[in-house]
Amino acid sequence: MRYTEFTPYDLVLLAQGLGVTVALFLGTSLIGLAVGTLWGIVRYYRVPGLTQIITFVAELLKNSPVLVQLFLVFFGFPAFFHLDLGPVGAAVITLSANTAAFVYVIAVSAIESIGRDQIEAARVFGLSRWQVLRHVIAPQAAAFSIGPLTALLVNQLQVTSLISVIGVMDLSKIGATLNLRTLKPFVVWSVVGLLYYLAAKLVATLGARIERRLRAHTAFRGL
Amino acid sequence: MLNVEQVRKTFGTVTVLDGVNLAVKPGEVVSILGSSGSGKSTLIRCINGLERLDGGRITVDDFDVSKPRELAEARKRSGTVFQLFNLYPHMTALQNITLAPIEVLKRSRAEAEDEGRALLASVGLGDRAEAYPAQLSGGQRQRVGICRALAMRPRYLLLDEVTSALDPEMTSEVLDILAKLASGGTTMLFVTHEIEFARQISDRVVFLEKGVLLVDLPTRDFFAAGGGLAQPRVAQFLSKMRKD
Ligand SMILES: Nc1ncnc2c1ncn2[C@@H]1O[C@H](COP(=O)(O)OP(=O)(O)OP(=O)(O)O)[C@@H](O)[C@H]1O
Ligand SMILES: [Mg+2]
Repeated sequence: MRYTEFTPYDLVLLAQGLGVTVALFLGTSLIGLAVGTLWGIVRYYRVPGLTQIITFVAELLKNSPVLVQLFLVFFGFPAFFHLDLGPVGAAVITLSANTAAFVYVIAVSAIESIGRDQIEAARVFGLSRWQVLRHVIAPQAAAFSIGPLTALLVNQLQVTSLISVIGVMDLSKIGATLNLRTLKPFVVWSVVGLLYYLAAKLVATLGARIERRLRAHTAFRGL
Repeated sequence: MLNVEQVRKTFGTVTVLDGVNLAVKPGEVVSILGSSGSGKSTLIRCINGLERLDGGRITVDDFDVSKPRELAEARKRSGTVFQLFNLYPHMTALQNITLAPIEVLKRSRAEAEDEGRALLASVGLGDRAEAYPAQLSGGQRQRVGICRALAMRPRYLLLDEVTSALDPEMTSEVLDILAKLASGGTTMLFVTHEIEFARQISDRVVFLEKGVLLVDLPTRDFFAAGGGLAQPRVAQFLSKMRKD
């Protein structure tokens, strides 16, 4: 193999890698947020059986390395279920499930942070469990959890780099490719690192902005 | 009619209510007295369906609170004011008041808000409709709590020590409002340690002791030497409360 200099086309490659990373991050974050929140709601309704299963699955996902989960899905699904997901499919499933598990934990503690007394008041005035969730719990739980959720998502963005090991052409994989070709690790990884940093910073800034907005009409703390 | 029949409630091995009977007719003001731990709050919580009964029956206008289907109707007929206000902290005073009328009674927002503002004005909070609970004093919060209950146009108002978290000045703000409601014909079941106030506004006074309803008498008789005071426990309780 011959080593070559950087070409302008490498910028396109980097942009493509960044696009794949961002797309996977956004997609799996949305799925993870939806699924994790749904799990939290199932727990709120104390659906018998289902709640225990969800807690168990979330525990497994939280307490094992994402890389191991990724291999299990990527190699395990074809072997056991004869279901070839391909690298992107395996990455989407693994990252979504992992995000969901942590979102679930945040959702549970957010729901539990709401004082019982307010919930009892709402019930006494005849609101259904759903109406209590929607009008009393959800707005306060959102304000409570936006901080932890932002931290989680910033972390999950970095975790996406793991999927390069099963061959997804994300930003890290492009970095590895360019590195092999140019043998200029310091330049390549600095640029790749900077791109991750900027993306993470964007997520954190958006999170902080939403948090400010949610807390603006929560000038109520300290009751 | 609000009917409590032979109600029993236990927590584990502790019997907190032991065969309580009580009837409140529309228009009546009934005060519940009793020392700490006698089961007063538990009785209120049984009536508004927050605790499950272990025996007996409670009906609010013939709707049985133990039957899930009827609980919703029973709850529409009673309004509760809480000791610690239990306001929704993320909502303004007005939103606290209009939530249940809009969601449960399906009133239009405009109508609910007009009525909410009128209620706030009637308790001297006309200019605090947009304030959050944390921006209000304790007495103001409790006045919002009363408006929230009244906005449901309840047939029975349940009040559990609604002034005991307030200092004397705020207490009198709130008691003034309750006195006005009582004389206006609002039906009230009123748990309190304010003996003198109970004496002024109640039609009847009942005395709860270790989960048993020891005395149930018209107010005048309750405080008469040959009536409630003939019960040693009541005499003891009243003299202790007056000393404090
Ligand atoms: N959820 C609960 N679990 C266990 N015991 C309880 C529970 N709620 C109340 N109790 C017990 O029931 C008894 C009656 O309590 P309750 O709150 O009804 O008394 P109270 O008359 O309202 O007293 P106070 O005047 O102090 O408010 C007490 O001994 C209390 O410890
Ligand atoms: Mg009590």
